[in-house]
Amino acid sequence: MVLGVSFVDQLSTALVIGVITGGVYALVALGLVLVYKASGVFNFAQAEFGTVAVYAAYAALEFAGLPYGIALLVGVSAGVAMGLATERLIIRPLFDAPRVTLLVATAGVALLVIGVQFWRANDPALRVLAPISNELERVRVFGISVSDQRIVILLVLAATAAGLALFFRSPGGLAVLAASQEPTAAELVGVSVRRVSSLTWGVAALLGSLAGLLSAPISNFSPGFLTAGASGALIPGFTGAVIGGMTSMPGAVVGGLLVGIVESLGGLNALEGIPGARSLLVFASLLVVLLVRPQGLLGRAAA
Amino acid sequence: MSAVDDPTAGHPAPGSEPDGSGLPVEAAPIDAETAAAVRAAAPRPDRFRPAAAGWIGRGVVWAALAWVVLCLPGNIASPVSLSATEARGASEAVVFAIIGLSLNVLIGYAGQISLGHQAFVGIGAFTSAFVVTELGQEFWLGVIVAALVGALQALLLGGVALRVTGLYFALITLSYGVMVQQSLFNVESLTGGVAGRDAPLPTGVSSAYGYYYVCLGLLALVLWLDWRLTRTKAGRALLAVRENPRVAATLGIDIRGYTVLAFMVSGFFAGIGGALFAHRDGFVVAEPFTFQLALIFIIMTVVGGLRSRSGVVLGSAFFALMGDGILLKLLRLEGFFENVVKLPSEFVPLVLGPLLLLLTLTLYPGGIGQQVAPVRGWLLGGRFDRHAGAVKEVQVTDVRA
Amino acid sequence: MSVLEVHDLSIRFGGVQALADVNLAAGEWEIVGIIGPNGAGKTTLFNCITGFYSPTSGRVRFRGEDITELPVHVRAGRGIGRTFQNVGLVKGSSAVENLLTAQHLAASYGAVAGIAGSPRTFDDERALRHRAHTLLELLGLADLGDAAVADLPYGVLKRLEIATVLASDPDLLLLDEPGSGMGPEEAHALGDTLLELRRTFGLTIVMIDHHVPLVTRVSDYMYCLNFGAVLAEGPPEVVRAHPDVVAAYLGDAAEAV
Repeated sequence: MVLGVSFVDQLSTALVIGVITGGVYALVALGLVLVYKASGVFNFAQAEFGTVAVYAAYAALEFAGLPYGIALLVGVSAGVAMGLATERLIIRPLFDAPRVTLLVATAGVALLVIGVQFWRANDPALRVLAPISNELERVRVFGISVSDQRIVILLVLAATAAGLALFFRSPGGLAVLAASQEPTAAELVGVSVRRVSSLTWGVAALLGSLAGLLSAPISNFSPGFLTAGASGALIPGFTGAVIGGMTSMPGAVVGGLLVGIVESLGGLNALEGIPGARSLLVFASLLVVLLVRPQGLLGRAAA
Repeated sequence: MSAVDDPTAGHPAPGSEPDGSGLPVEAAPIDAETAAAVRAAAPRPDRFRPAAAGWIGRGVVWAALAWVVLCLPGNIASPVSLSATEARGASEAVVFAIIGLSLNVLIGYAGQISLGHQAFVGIGAFTSAFVVTELGQEFWLGVIVAALVGALQALLLGGVALRVTGLYFALITLSYGVMVQQSLFNVESLTGGVAGRDAPLPTGVSSAYGYYYVCLGLLALVLWLDWRLTRTKAGRALLAVRENPRVAATLGIDIRGYTVLAFMVSGFFAGIGGALFAHRDGFVVAEPFTFQLALIFIIMTVVGGLRSRSGVVLGSAFFALMGDGILLKLLRLEGFFENVVKLPSEFVPLVLGPLLLLLTLTLYPGGIGQQVAPVRGWLLGGRFDRHAGAVKEVQVTDVRA
Repeated sequence: MSVLEVHDLSIRFGGVQALADVNLAAGEWEIVGIIGPNGAGKTTLFNCITGFYSPTSGRVRFRGEDITELPVHVRAGRGIGRTFQNVGLVKGSSAVENLLTAQHLAASYGAVAGIAGSPRTFDDERALRHRAHTLLELLGLADLGDAAVADLPYGVLKRLEIATVLASDPDLLLLDEPGSGMGPEEAHALGDTLLELRRTFGLTIVMIDHHVPLVTRVSDYMYCLNFGAVLAEGPPEVVRAHPDVVAAYLGDAAEAV
């Protein structure tokens, strides 16, 4: 079957698949950029907000028997709660610590969550979360059918990106920017840096939760699935954020989509003999961006 | 060679000097107040000397320590008889100690984080296995090649990745680790693919007990190198770079050069650790070298206590024994975790490790190193000082290399 | 030949012209003083000479060689040493360790040989330590020994910093406010020390300080900077009496020697 597919067909498939997986990466990248802008932290627990949401929603759906919409809400709440807890228990006590220490701390949070998932939910290891809609063939792009679930991912990404853009033009959004750039001055004009910090982590966790809840139904999920492994979104998400310049929201969206496309080029037949071609491509694009254009495509500050 | 090589020699005075005697400089005396402050800050000259009983007490503890490290795992002069599995566990503790020391050089001395150290250890393991089984060489050559490949890898990756700041370096190493795991480790001609590769015990070593001493010998080598690193110019240069990069540069220290050097030393140690890891089990597969393992490596180093050799060794050994379930068995906690908490012992480090890490970072920055510092001082003939080794924060500076 | 020559040096940060066409020279064994009000660009000039900033235009020459493009540590290797306004020491180490660190380039063994623990490095380390103690003695700091730097009073730190830079064996010593925090008497003593050090080590010194009497006394030549430009230069007494200098700087800071 694969033999018969022409190179152009493969390319268009890669493009379509890439944009959709890239949508998940863009959601993760947005959360990473948000936290980096506000706290200067590389948040290695970002993808784990998503897995927490997925496990919570799964439990609500399968064990508590709640309706699908409520289950999703439970998932989002769990993810956001984890984001707020991380901010309160880990980030705030380490506010003055070097940024690299905070990085280790968020990685610790990620591993803790993965560990707890292994502990509580490793039997069975692979689980399936029901999709929002089971329709697989409604939409066709370049002759490739795109499931409704994947369309929803892109719609949600567009809505969040627009929402964030509006937010950062509102007084609340400007307060976040002020608190991140001039914390002392912001305090003086009445912006509570603590509340802003909580708010940012909450929103970032919301983005992570959406990434998890929307991407999990596409395949199965297992402990830590969004951080590492075949469907890991953390490294592509980071790469997307870096491509976008680490501080730019539009950059994160574009970067995330780009990484999705570049990564799916690893599925081309020409690269069939190379094991792990996808992660190779992601690693290469991260390295190239950091060396050639460290400020990213849309960023201003240098890396 | 200039005048400063012998400061007492004096320099021919330039013409403008009123006093052309060329006598050694006599610095203006510091005032009494300052002198007193200086004396107060300097350590007391009267050294503490333990009494005879004190020496005997220390001797007993030293002997006990030596027995635990040298005799117990080999069933020598030991009332208990360890199984081969337990001896392999002891070897793993030593191997983890080497890996912990490897990360300590990078995180503790150079202030850089590697989130891809599983790749360094894994490549070391496969390299040594390849040299021994494919090329038919001796184990020792396998270890040497693995260590050199580790250093070379660090040179290549660090030469590129250390052009960016610490956060981005960590990100690159993370991506590198996953890339190696998913790509390189699946190249069948190098790693044997899913089946993995044989890695026999060294010739002349017949059992898991004997292999423990091989590991111990290499740990001694790594400790020696680490000790000399901290006591010579490279260690001082790294300390200066970490604490005050601007000053370091004005003293002629090449910041990026020394950071890459530290990464290479770290890669060298990790290569040794990887080789020992492979030959301990008799074979090596890619499966254990995951992102989670890389995080466990970081955790055991930080919890052990950055820049404390004894702390890092203990912390790493602790995590190795905990992962094996040996520690839980020793503490009779196995049943508690398996039955009461329903936490299988293989996942105990994954849950307890991050908790310990977060506690270390937020509340107890000196880690295990801080715990053992008073004991260490006492063993070396000092007073038992409860506050020895106190650390205010886990210091990892964000150095722009 | 001048040891240090600065030609038409300019640097802009965003819209601010921090230095504008500064020319400066220091000859062999000369002590050159730089005065000027806060924000005049004195430390910025030092940062251009040591390589922390790359100037927008202009050149820096050391013993005739153009060093404008060289990295900081390479310039240090050429023989440029400096102190910092806020004390450039490794705070976590002892006084002796700081002097050992400063002898980085003087250590004749390679970094890898040191890590491997080759026997020669033990001898070399002993020699470095001996030299560190000699230097501390020379600056009246012999008592310091293994005291942690963080616990020492400010005045001692300033003196220790000079000892540290001397240990790095410079030909040209840039001192950024060596007399800050000192009273007139201490500043006078510092002046004596500097003159003696110049003679003992054959140093060329460029110093920034606000103690005008101190700078006037020890300098062979003096510059006054204001708003990033050289306001006046010449023999110290001449610069001091220069009407522009008096107007810009000395009006409120003049004091008796």
